[in-house]
Amino acid sequence: MKLLLGLAIGTAIGAVMQLGGASSYRKILGALLLKDMTIIKLILTTIAVTTVGIYALDLVHMAHMDVKPTYVVGIAIAGLIFGVGFALSGYCPGTCVLASAEGKSDAFVTLIGGLVGAALYALVYPFMGTLLNMTNYGEITLASVFNVTNGIWIAIPFSAILLLLVFKVLKDRYE
Amino acid sequence: MQDNPVLSPKVAGLLLGLLVILATALVKPFGVSTQYVVTDALVLHKTAPTLAESNKYIAKYGEKEDWGVGYGWMLVFGMFLGSGVAAVATHRFRQRKDAAMSEMWTAQFGNHKAKRLVQAFIGGMLLLFGARFAGGCTSGHMISGISQLAVGSFVFGIAIFISGIITAKLLYRKRAGS
Repeated sequence: MKLLLGLAIGTAIGAVMQLGGASSYRKILGALLLKDMTIIKLILTTIAVTTVGIYALDLVHMAHMDVKPTYVVGIAIAGLIFGVGFALSGYCPGTCVLASAEGKSDAFVTLIGGLVGAALYALVYPFMGTLLNMTNYGEITLASVFNVTNGIWIAIPFSAILLLLVFKVLKDRYE
Repeated sequence: MQDNPVLSPKVAGLLLGLLVILATALVKPFGVSTQYVVTDALVLHKTAPTLAESNKYIAKYGEKEDWGVGYGWMLVFGMFLGSGVAAVATHRFRQRKDAAMSEMWTAQFGNHKAKRLVQAFIGGMLLLFGARFAGGCTSGHMISGISQLAVGSFVFGIAIFISGIITAKLLYRKRAGS
């Protein structure tokens, strides 16, 4: 049952992301070159909607939250590595799956590279202890840091700022 | 242009947001990169069981009983299907002469397919190494993590855009004499 649910939600997510242009090399590089705002607007709109939705669910205790631990230095280094891969491949771990389904062979090669990269991480994992434990503040959120009981009071203004960026501030800059 | 998206980013973002909310209500927030380890674990448990069992990271995934193919793996498989169906339905499947080469890429680097594929492979390795190190990727950290207001996910999001923008600018810097 859960397998079918995963398949159904995944299929809808894949279709929406493909139709939104998330699997396009040109759109992703356009975003990183700060010329094409399509992907940035897509991500920010998604976050704006999801943040309010999740914290509204949380009010009625219906959100299955899964907050990842914050190990600042390790995550920052990991993000810097990820960013280089993002610009080199023009995909991320999800969008290369989408683009592979469109028949783009560079995306399929990125996916294979990803399987190798994940295996390499598994190999070095036993030596990562320091970086994973250093500056580790655990599963903290803005709500817990600012001691706000109902995160919705942060979620609403946060989402409003993101939507303002999407609708009013961000503009494509093709010269 | 032929690969302009069918949906505007606002509409796609709204729909994607609603789907992530649905997933969080029913099961858990949405994430992709874990499934790369699950897939590695599936293959390794089958081909090199001793190695798979001895590795602390791999041993956590892909148990012999169900081979680790659970909700999350089916979700990513669904993404593959959904994207394929959407691309075919909107006549965007393999419309370029060579689907590995974006025109944007060939304009900068020339028509060198092998070079593009090497770049894509190295990029993929860095993506998943970074994502597993951070504990999530664009979906798990950027979308699901920031939407839960997780502090680490903000750190990840800022870091990937800093290095992504610098790398992209270096790759696409104007060449002398062009």
